[in-house]
Amino acid sequence: MKKILVVDDEENICKLYREELEEMGYEVTTALDGGSAIAALEKARYDLVTLDMRMKGMDGIETLRKMKERDASLPVIISSAYEEYKNDFGSWASDAYIVKSADTAALRDTVKKILG
Amino acid sequence: MTMEPVERTELSILSEIGRISTSADDLHRKLQRIIEVVMRGIGKDGASVFLLDRSGKNVILEAAMGLNQEAVGKLTFPLGKGIAGWVAEQKVPLALADPYSDPRFQYVPETGIERFKSLVAAPIMDEDRCFGVIFVLSGQNWNATSSEVTILTTTANQISGVIRSTLLFQDIEDRLARLASIYEISMALTSTLDLNQLLSLIARNTTSSLRAQGCTIHLLDLPAGDGENRELRLTFIDDAVRDIDTVFGERMQTNTIRDKRPLLIADTSQDARVQDISNQHRVSILSVPLIFHDRVTGVITLYSTEQGQPFIDDDLQFLTTIASGAAVAVENAALFEREERMAGDARVRAQEFSILYDVGTAMSATLNLDRLLRIILTAATMGGTGLGFNRAILLLTNERTNILQGMMGVGPTSWDEASRAWTEVARKHKSLMEWIQTGELFESRDSEINEVARRIRMHMDPDEGVLARTVLEKRSFNVLDAASDPLVPKDLRDTLRVNSFATVPLVAKGRAIGAILVDNLFTRRPITDHDIRFLTMFAHQAALAIDNAVIHSNMETMNRDIRVIHEQLAQSEKMAALGTMMAEITHEIRNPLVSIGGFTRRLARKVTDPDAKKYIDIILSEVGRLEGIIHDNLAYIKNVGPQFSRTSLNNIVEEVLPVYEDELRQRGINIERDLSPEIGSLDMDPQQIKQAVVNLVANAMEAMENGGTLTVRTYPSADSRDAVMEIGDTGPGISPESMHNLFNPYYTTKVRGTGLGLPITHRIVKAHKGNIVFRNKETGGAVFTLRLPVPQEK
Ligand SMILES: Nc1ncnc2c1ncn2[C@@H]1O[C@H](COP(=O)(O)OP(=O)(O)O)[C@@H](O)[C@H]1O
Ligand SMILES: [Mg+2]
Repeated sequence: MKKILVVDDEENICKLYREELEEMGYEVTTALDGGSAIAALEKARYDLVTLDMRMKGMDGIETLRKMKERDASLPVIISSAYEEYKNDFGSWASDAYIVKSADTAALRDTVKKILG
Repeated sequence: MTMEPVERTELSILSEIGRISTSADDLHRKLQRIIEVVMRGIGKDGASVFLLDRSGKNVILEAAMGLNQEAVGKLTFPLGKGIAGWVAEQKVPLALADPYSDPRFQYVPETGIERFKSLVAAPIMDEDRCFGVIFVLSGQNWNATSSEVTILTTTANQISGVIRSTLLFQDIEDRLARLASIYEISMALTSTLDLNQLLSLIARNTTSSLRAQGCTIHLLDLPAGDGENRELRLTFIDDAVRDIDTVFGERMQTNTIRDKRPLLIADTSQDARVQDISNQHRVSILSVPLIFHDRVTGVITLYSTEQGQPFIDDDLQFLTTIASGAAVAVENAALFEREERMAGDARVRAQEFSILYDVGTAMSATLNLDRLLRIILTAATMGGTGLGFNRAILLLTNERTNILQGMMGVGPTSWDEASRAWTEVARKHKSLMEWIQTGELFESRDSEINEVARRIRMHMDPDEGVLARTVLEKRSFNVLDAASDPLVPKDLRDTLRVNSFATVPLVAKGRAIGAILVDNLFTRRPITDHDIRFLTMFAHQAALAIDNAVIHSNMETMNRDIRVIHEQLAQSEKMAALGTMMAEITHEIRNPLVSIGGFTRRLARKVTDPDAKKYIDIILSEVGRLEGIIHDNLAYIKNVGPQFSRTSLNNIVEEVLPVYEDELRQRGINIERDLSPEIGSLDMDPQQIKQAVVNLVANAMEAMENGGTLTVRTYPSADSRDAVMEIGDTGPGISPESMHNLFNPYYTTKVRGTGLGLPITHRIVKAHKGNIVFRNKETGGAVFTLRLPVPQEK
């Protein structure tokens, strides 16, 4: 089973993403901040990460940098409340950029496209 | 085979509860029906339900059979107190044959509990969370069997499902209402830049959203770059809470400012932090700091008196969110106030100028320099109402370059033109002003004398001869024989083709600003001393008018500069502040919206009840609407697409640099510019590109704290496809830690930085299909290189 790490400082969003992605048949682990996300990556191998951009403590971009330093091939989807930086960060920094929405279709489609 | 009676009871109770659960009743009504079923099912004469309140710290009577209905909604026990409080806290069922002898029992006479002799209570559990307690009461002595207790426990579990889904709806509805009010408040915050108005707006909105009794807002002295100055600057106090505020206000504010953290006091009479001053008061208080760029700029305090409900953590979250927006709005308003003061100074200056302007208007017909010179020279050369010289030339000094330059000449080119013009003047009896208004006396622009005039150009050096001396010595000369006069250089004699002429200085406010030269080439009439005196008086008038015109045109430029600076300041600061605020609010709103909407969608897949489905659809469409509003507003505020027009990049640079000239000079920074004319015009949004250049110049300037050199270069790229602009400085360069953060919004190393300059610049450049890169020079300092595509002609 493919494994996904969901990183978001909002507990409810972690929960929502988890339920949606588990329903699609993935195994999901959640992390509430950048530090524990990195720690989770040390402990297990993941096939994909969804990452909030703005979090308390270690910022999403900082976390992304650390993740990519560890393993540049690990696909990361930025999931952000900011839509206006899509162009700025979408292309160079991550593998995909989705704007958080109550409609999780974009999340599901993007995950499916990356993991098949 | 027959069923055990208890099991039958249990099944019928549970199926009944199932029906009630899916009914359209509200929670209170459902609970009422449920306890009735339970009471009858177990065969007793009383029942009740307590639920945990909003704070989670008390249980409150929600429905009752056999008790006084007045107690419903009123009777409360803190967790751990009374039988209900105990069961809710311990989360275990309890059967008491004689509750009155139990130490946990608390008698409340208004309930009518004394009608009953025994009871059984069970916690309403949802996994390990307790929603409340259900009771069955008996008027007869009742030693409940364990299976009776089990029935009640099972029933309680069933009820938890009903409560859960109702609470979920309620919670979603509450949160949605809260988000809507956060959004409304946030929008309102951007609607005014008047500080007082803003404060009362914040106070009014927060008070009503949190159902508080009133609000106070204290602003600390606004940061003028003076560090930790924390004087109170402005205070807003609702009259409704003025008295309570005198008791608690200072303590709350001091603590909030000191800890830089929100402070929630649920009940002043119970809280150690304020108990000593609390006296009789049982008030709930919420204090939240306004924080802008890491410093506390003020405090919002909300009061809820005994008439209202005590504040809970949710309220604190809510107020903190509002405060983050409010802090920016307040800062914004303060900034605007400061700018208005600045603009006020400019207005005073403009007024001084405009007095001059009026005097100037009175003194002559025009402040347009070109037109004014023409009027002066026409007056000098016109017979009748004029001075009647044949030709006149006006020269002005340039103080900066120390050059005297012929500006304009007026007069006929030939005898023919001269006699025609003068007979016409004599015949028509027109005044000077009429002549001026109805057209020119002589052929203007390209007349010979005008050509002659514009060829005269010399240093203001006594050796240059009579014209230079006229200005330098501020006196007139009457040259009778140019050929033999050592003060008349040969080339001047050759250009003028005349042997006699006179010069008078133009002196305004003690400064010689130029000279007038007149001759009588055609009539050969000698110029008399009387002529000279008259001409001198006229020149005096003319000089003042010219001076005014020059001042006026300077004033116009200055006014324009002030306006540009003001606009740019206002624009960039406001945009940055507004952007920060909007982004902040978007983030705050979008996340909970995602949970609300996301879970509601999941809920939709599980629910079959048509009424519930209807509600879910309403929630989903409202969530969609809120998401849309956020999107549209952001697009408006943040991402206005470029409005392209052909514009010269060099011109943009030339427009931006003067704005910073003064500040650069003060900081000991010199400008080196090397603008290649080869780059020509590009398709761009001039405002946006100007903004991009402004951001880069500002950063360069801010990087050179101890002076240095600002370099601005433009040149075509090697393949001529791009226009390149480099903005360099001799500051410390980009630090390694900053490198990967530079284009991150909000990344700033400056105390008063917004961290939005470069992200905005980056976005603008991208929107122009260009790019921007930076590097540190070997010699020190940073260079930002911006490339914009040159339009490809087909
Ligand atoms: N010319 C420069 N030299 C050194 N550092 C710079 C320069 N320009 C930008 N920076 C760095 O990049 C940061 C972000 O710049 P910017 O986005 O304009 O935001 P702000 O100027 O408000 O801080 C600055 O705080 C500064 O640390
Ligand atoms: Mg800047």
